[in-house]
Amino acid sequence: MNAGDAPAGAPVPIVRLKDELASLERAYSPGHHGLWSARRRSHLVDTALVDLYRAANPPGERAPRTALVSLGGYGRGALSPRSDIDLLLLHDGADPAGVAVLIERLLYPLWDAGFTVGHAVRTPEDTVQLAAERLDAATAVLDARLLAGDGDLLAAAFEPMLLRMREDPDAFREALAGDARDRRARFGSAAYLLEPELKEGGGGLRDIHAFGWLQTVRGRPLEEDGMLRPAEREQLAAAEEFLTRARSALHLESGRRIDRLFREQQSDIANAMGFRDEPRLMAEDGLMRAVFEHARLVDALTDDVIIGGRRSGPPPDPVELPDAGEALALIAEAAEAERPLSTAELDAVERIVPANEIGWSTTIRDAFLRILRAGRGATQGLHTLDRMGLLVRLIPEWAEVRCRPQRDPYHRYTVDVHLLRAFERMSEALAAPDADDPLAAVAAGHVQERDGMLLGALLHDIGKNGEGGHVVVGDRLAATILARMDVDETTGALARFMVAEHLLVPDTATRRDLGDDDLILDVAARVETPERLGALYLLAKADALATGPAAWTPWRQALIRELVTKVQRVFDRGEMGVEVAERLADAIDEVRELLRHEPAAAVERFILRMPRSYFLSTPPAQIARHYATIAPDLGRQDVRTSTREGGRSGTYELVVVAADRPGLLSWIAGALSLAGLSILTAQVFTTEDGVAADLFEVEGAFEAAVGEERWREFRSLLRTAIDGRVSLEHRMAEKRRHYPERGGTPVTVAVDNEASDFFTVIEIGAPDRIGLLYDITRTLSDMELDVHLAKVATYTDRVIDSFYVRDPLGRKLEDPPLIATVESALRARLTVVPEPSAG
Amino acid sequence: MKLITAIVKPHRIEEVKEALRDIGVNGLTTTDVEGFGRQRGHTEVYRGAEYQVDFVPKVKVEVLVAEDEAQGVIDAIEKAARTGKIGDGKIWVTEAEQVIRIRTGERGPDAL
Repeated sequence: MNAGDAPAGAPVPIVRLKDELASLERAYSPGHHGLWSARRRSHLVDTALVDLYRAANPPGERAPRTALVSLGGYGRGALSPRSDIDLLLLHDGADPAGVAVLIERLLYPLWDAGFTVGHAVRTPEDTVQLAAERLDAATAVLDARLLAGDGDLLAAAFEPMLLRMREDPDAFREALAGDARDRRARFGSAAYLLEPELKEGGGGLRDIHAFGWLQTVRGRPLEEDGMLRPAEREQLAAAEEFLTRARSALHLESGRRIDRLFREQQSDIANAMGFRDEPRLMAEDGLMRAVFEHARLVDALTDDVIIGGRRSGPPPDPVELPDAGEALALIAEAAEAERPLSTAELDAVERIVPANEIGWSTTIRDAFLRILRAGRGATQGLHTLDRMGLLVRLIPEWAEVRCRPQRDPYHRYTVDVHLLRAFERMSEALAAPDADDPLAAVAAGHVQERDGMLLGALLHDIGKNGEGGHVVVGDRLAATILARMDVDETTGALARFMVAEHLLVPDTATRRDLGDDDLILDVAARVETPERLGALYLLAKADALATGPAAWTPWRQALIRELVTKVQRVFDRGEMGVEVAERLADAIDEVRELLRHEPAAAVERFILRMPRSYFLSTPPAQIARHYATIAPDLGRQDVRTSTREGGRSGTYELVVVAADRPGLLSWIAGALSLAGLSILTAQVFTTEDGVAADLFEVEGAFEAAVGEERWREFRSLLRTAIDGRVSLEHRMAEKRRHYPERGGTPVTVAVDNEASDFFTVIEIGAPDRIGLLYDITRTLSDMELDVHLAKVATYTDRVIDSFYVRDPLGRKLEDPPLIATVESALRARLTVVPEPSAG
Repeated sequence: MKLITAIVKPHRIEEVKEALRDIGVNGLTTTDVEGFGRQRGHTEVYRGAEYQVDFVPKVKVEVLVAEDEAQGVIDAIEKAARTGKIGDGKIWVTEAEQVIRIRTGERGPDAL
């Protein structure tokens, strides 16, 4: 089809046709060429072709016996602006040369004028034969319409074909079903894909036409056999009108015969069709929503009637349902039995659908939860609720996500289809966990609160309603919806948690440093329990699988699993859990309160930088005191110290802050020892940005009160050690020589790689003596081990120390020979006091 | 012209992008990749279930630059991607013989 100017010398019918097509196109905006316009276009072409046919068979000339027949859409009397003109010239086979002349006279003017003509020249017998072999040939003839010539020839093709098909109408339906399945596989669905194929896609125009063909073959209205309900007929008609308009607009806007509604054209087509931007819905999204709404109904009917083979027979006895509760119970029963509703049941449900929102009662809630729990039938049940308009009346918030397209590189489906698919994946994961995914199997096995998991998956993106910030909005909406449903408190709590935190696992896994132990603790603190962690993992997986093929890649899986595994181990070790998380949150709140006069941003930065173990092991009042020493920015060579009297008389609290570097701890320990200070306890923390904050409880080694001169000596020794101006090793050995070893309890060294995912933990027990911590830490730094965290405690004569260490590349010590070397080096150093080297 | 390819940790990619933007690099390609170097695969355990991790997820960054810009880009990536821990990745540089901007047909440095 091609409007516009006819070429010079074109026959009169062509000139007139071109002219009239152009004025038809001018008569409406491109978005308002619906079925009426398509019929008018078809009629104009009819007139021209009849004239051409007559002119090609001039009176007096011996003409072959022929019939000019229109096929396909043109046969149905509806032509879209750029559709092919499909023609069949039937002839009796007696005069091939005459037919060749005729076809040239008919087609050349059309071709010359730029029309796209699909044509076939056959005898009735060949036509019947071909229709028996090919479905598309058969359906084309089912739409055949005589334009001019000998009607008997068309009857000779049409009637035998129809008779044969009527012998087994169900076989014909099966053939249509096969075609529908093939088209879905090839063109995808028009019911939710962002670039839908309006003609061949699932729920598209071809699906609508299939109902017409089935009816022609069955010989009477489908309603009379109970195969189509009157309301469904109206839905098909409305969908055909709308999709025809959209397709015509696409032809006119693009100037080409394309049937896929590409993204870049959607804005123009939407405007042409009268869609306007709304506060929460752009015009092109409004267009897509309308396309999806129509196509979804067509798709569902195709599933039921054409593919599913809805039972035909006399109209069934009507079913009566008193109210929405009974309707939901019926849908739940069908979902549990994995059966579709009968037409009588659909009629009955349709009758009770109220105009407005449905209030939740116990009956309704129980039926709704039964549908969710129905396993394989659950999704079908939800689709039935959706199709009958019940879902948006039960959950009004659903209307905003229904058929709403998602314009990003990952999502293939509308928000509501994505939610239903995520729900389906979650339902599958709970019923039969994926054997190839040990995490999913274990997580599903630990789930107690299944309703919560199902509701969480169903509602996780309910906040994608165009407001923006879908997680926050979703949390708010989910709270309202779950309260309305009045589900159990634990059910509602888990579902709401899943909605609010559904991005926590995937976003953290792909964007944050999973080698950061505090990050893992923070995630564990937010998740609180292994069950909720399992719920987030299963939801992350269901969400990704329901998004599109690109979302659950091995790459993402590896990161997500690493995070989940690490967080779970934090729970296993008791490092974090409900109680610890509460304690941590309380401690941090208290620190904030105590530091309320400090600049809030600086306090938050301090809280973020310091390890979680610091807040868990140090009293808030002490943390508040440390703030002034630890929080300010620190230069590479700076050392900052502060001291105050400790909790017990004669003890002192010492804080040392310096840029972390190998050996730092040993220098501090050595400097303390040389300055005559004994270490009672020590705690060593390292911030993520590489600052060591070391806390010591010390006492005078020789006298009860420690005077300023000892502190000064300590600071000076530490300073010179850091600057590399003095070897503490030599001076320590010298000093130690003057003090006899106390001996007694044996030295124990244990290397533990299970206690942490991030560090090797070395536990050391040894008799207390001068410079013990120095010796240990010096050995560790000689072995190039970085001490990230240390706890030192003195019990009368014995010291129990644990050190969280890593190698210079941040790895745990996994190599057995290396572990053995570390152990023996520590034992050797702690058992035998080294002699000072000669000189 | 040089093709600079870097393999970096996923959580450093934002820093790398920013660093490159800061020095005026206006085009780059990233790909999610998996592999291993010195940082090998390992076995993980989740609530008693074991699973094998064969490859480590990384992001590959590719930047095409003029000869004299290469060093700046390398330095920027190196600085932004560095954490000092195992698995920080690698950067390598290869000669790009020809570059064509498909839309315009521009060739060589004009196409960068």
